[in-house]
Amino acid sequence: MDPLSLGLLVAVATVAILFSGVSVAVGLLIVSALFLLVFDGARSLEMMPEIFFADLNSFTILSIPMFIIMGAAVASTRAGADLFEALERWMTRVPGGLVVSNLGACALFSAMSGSSPATCAAIGKMGIPEMQKRGYPDTVAAGSIAAGGTLGILIPPSVTMIVYGIATETSIGRLFLAGIVPGVMLTLLFMAWAIFATWRSGNAMVLASRHYSIRERLEILPRVVPFLLVIVGVLYSMYGGIATTSETAAVGALLCLGMAIVIYRMWSPVAIWGVLRDSTKESVMILFIMAAAGVFAYMMSSLFITQSIAQWIAGLEVNRWVLMILINIFLLVAGFFLPPVAVILMTAPILMPILDAADFDPYWFAVILTINMEIGLITPPVGLNLFVINSIAPKIPLKTILWGSAPFVGCMFLAIFLLCLFPGLATWLPDVVMGPSL
Amino acid sequence: VELRLSHQFAPGDLRHKIAQMVADDVAAANVDLSIKIFPSGSLFKATEQYIPLSRGQLDMTVFPLSYAGGQHPEYNLTLMPGLVKNHDHAARLIASPFMAEIEKVLNDDDVMTLVHGYLAGGFASVDGCVRRPEDVKGKSVRAAGKGFEEMLQAAGASIASMPSSETYNAMQQHVLQALNTSSSSFVSFRLQELAKCYTPAGDIALWFMYQPMLINKTTFDRLTPEQQQALRDASAKAEAYYLAEASKEDATSVEVFRAAGVEIADLTQDDFDAWKALAETSSYKSFEGNGKKLLDMALSVE
Amino acid sequence: MSRLPHAGLPMPGGNPFVRGVRAISTVCGWVAASLTVIALFVTCHMIFVRYALGHSTIWQTEAVIYLMIGAACIGLPYVQTLRGHVNVDLVPMALPRRGRLVLAWVVQLATIAVIALIAWYSWEVWHQAWDRNWKSPSVWGPRLWIPYMVLPIGFGLFLLQLLADLVALAIGEDAPFGMKEG
Ligand code: NA
Ligand code: NA
Repeated sequence: MDPLSLGLLVAVATVAILFSGVSVAVGLLIVSALFLLVFDGARSLEMMPEIFFADLNSFTILSIPMFIIMGAAVASTRAGADLFEALERWMTRVPGGLVVSNLGACALFSAMSGSSPATCAAIGKMGIPEMQKRGYPDTVAAGSIAAGGTLGILIPPSVTMIVYGIATETSIGRLFLAGIVPGVMLTLLFMAWAIFATWRSGNAMVLASRHYSIRERLEILPRVVPFLLVIVGVLYSMYGGIATTSETAAVGALLCLGMAIVIYRMWSPVAIWGVLRDSTKESVMILFIMAAAGVFAYMMSSLFITQSIAQWIAGLEVNRWVLMILINIFLLVAGFFLPPVAVILMTAPILMPILDAADFDPYWFAVILTINMEIGLITPPVGLNLFVINSIAPKIPLKTILWGSAPFVGCMFLAIFLLCLFPGLATWLPDVVMGPSL
Repeated sequence: VELRLSHQFAPGDLRHKIAQMVADDVAAANVDLSIKIFPSGSLFKATEQYIPLSRGQLDMTVFPLSYAGGQHPEYNLTLMPGLVKNHDHAARLIASPFMAEIEKVLNDDDVMTLVHGYLAGGFASVDGCVRRPEDVKGKSVRAAGKGFEEMLQAAGASIASMPSSETYNAMQQHVLQALNTSSSSFVSFRLQELAKCYTPAGDIALWFMYQPMLINKTTFDRLTPEQQQALRDASAKAEAYYLAEASKEDATSVEVFRAAGVEIADLTQDDFDAWKALAETSSYKSFEGNGKKLLDMALSVE
Repeated sequence: MSRLPHAGLPMPGGNPFVRGVRAISTVCGWVAASLTVIALFVTCHMIFVRYALGHSTIWQTEAVIYLMIGAACIGLPYVQTLRGHVNVDLVPMALPRRGRLVLAWVVQLATIAVIALIAWYSWEVWHQAWDRNWKSPSVWGPRLWIPYMVLPIGFGLFLLQLLADLVALAIGEDAPFGMKEG
């Protein structure tokens, strides 16, 4: 069977199985087992537990459970509520002020975390209930956090960029710099949409009618100091040469747990277990999906599907911008099914030479690729951030989360379009800081 | 027949070129044999190649053998401080009874060697040069290989074990002050952008890592004699190229670092002896039984 | 997914098998949470030892990885009792009662089959590491059967919980996909 039809068959089977209602991770394992058995022989099945283990066998995954603990600890105390109360009192003049500050918080967390589901879980845990409480539509509350979380792999540090750097022998430092301006731009686009959507829903009127005096605004400030200190501590530990990116997540978790227990008097073992139970539930769920997606990616690589399609695109003789559009469509479709790191490992070695030949800048392309991967995180059938939101906000139906995320996908398309029009958005900052690339 | 070759290296890396050369030559031989390469760890992750290879789930790999040192301690001997002095010495070691013993261990796991080869490496640091054991005292260093970690620890360095993917970031943030790896990897990771000083593998070098191309033995035995011959011919040609290029990689890395304005620190014989003496009291001591016997065999190679 | 937070959880019924298995899975939850907290402290310990004391960190990175793999595997049955493994339930929700029941059986049996497969091969992986006395190639060099052990234990207990869920579905203690009629 040729790779294109095989790829189509995998796509159809994956969609069909995942929509049957089976849990996502198990569904991915079922598809992988079926295709490995039929096209690779029974011996390949033996590998499944080892691939599963190998996918978790990485220090960088530590940041996910740690950021989840961080979010759960803050959300379970008054710290989270205080923070959002403060944001509301200070940002009432801005329509959708709270969703804007949530997106800002996502961008800030992205600067601490290299992974998107971690960012999503940490902010969503606090942010979504607060937004719902203050009358924001569910679509905006869920969609903004799902999309805001994806910034984790665009704004440095980023696991995706590191893997791209190693696979293509490009500079990781330059890649990180290339992600900053597009990351800020995407954050602003997300904010613009969130403000518009909130305004359209009619709730902005209600929010804007509340007025807080200067006194009310000032008196809330001392209550957000502990949380700000935690943020400063985490950023200092990371950018001050104390700990690596993944290690920093544990510092953040310890500081947040400590803050909850010492400052907010969360002394009862029942309350602490509550935080740990919630975070265990979410991190096990996410890690299970990530490892299963790794097994799925092994199946795809083993059957050479992704690589063959990339090679087929590479062989087409078309105009360089048609080529770029085709590559984008391909990355988009790959991102529907595969985790970002797997897509990069399988396609970067094949796509790099054609990009070179067509004279596209590899740092600029890394940003384009990362935004494509961000889209994959909030699109079915395998959209890790969607599942994170689904888990931390079980009352919001998946349909609403999808519906709320869709316009943010539009923002990302717009960002890709702008980057194609103005490649300088990605290349300007690294050129200024590190000199022109060779 | 199609064989699958998986490795962890980027397509621009020498080790990928070796694999590609063999694949191209075998294809050109017209013996109904082709090799499909999975680079960059896109099939199995960096350190996970050996088990599937020994079980026949993977046909071929280019693999730093010491990664499998947890399964056979003897493999740790292929990455020992000061054991190999230079590339010519490495070539003699490859032809020695020591390597024949290693081959026997491989054969027991249903694996055999197609292309032998050592790559050299050195140190890059973000403050002060690494020339002698005293230079790493109190510094946070990431070493490649168990033997080096033991030696550096004995020198008073703080060994930071972290994945290679985190090293660039860690050096940028000064969490890591020095890094020890192969010349090719220094260039691949673009550490010249961060390093202040580079201690390359020159006429005298400390760090040599054995990175052969391996094949599953049962898979090889099942090939027709013509196919086996084509594979052997291609491998012999690749091995000669590997040896010639290995020392060029060292020179290239020096050029790259020098062009980036990084200070270059060359080891003297005296520096080398200081490290070797330290290694003898630390990393060399952990071998016993068959490992000790093989260590002595390796040390006896002139 | 449109259900209330805990509406999907089966009622604690009278079946001793279902109850017993759930108790075991709950213990798994405690274990997984403890492993995560230990990983947290080990990481902070590592940062402190390296940054403040300037000592070598030999075992911490690897230990943290194994602790997290342990938490991920051993936590599987517990998260199953909480119905925490998310799914896409648009189709089951749209189906009529009878169709939903049939689909629930198909999905549950397929899940059991694939998890049983992985549990079985996990046992083989563990046994090989045990039998050949494999160690990790690091300086610390722990025996690999110890971290590998969480694979057969985690998937084995996950399988047990899935079987208990099947029993609960068969005797009517649990509704298909946890969706109440109405
Ligand atoms: Na980030
Ligand atoms: Na997706």
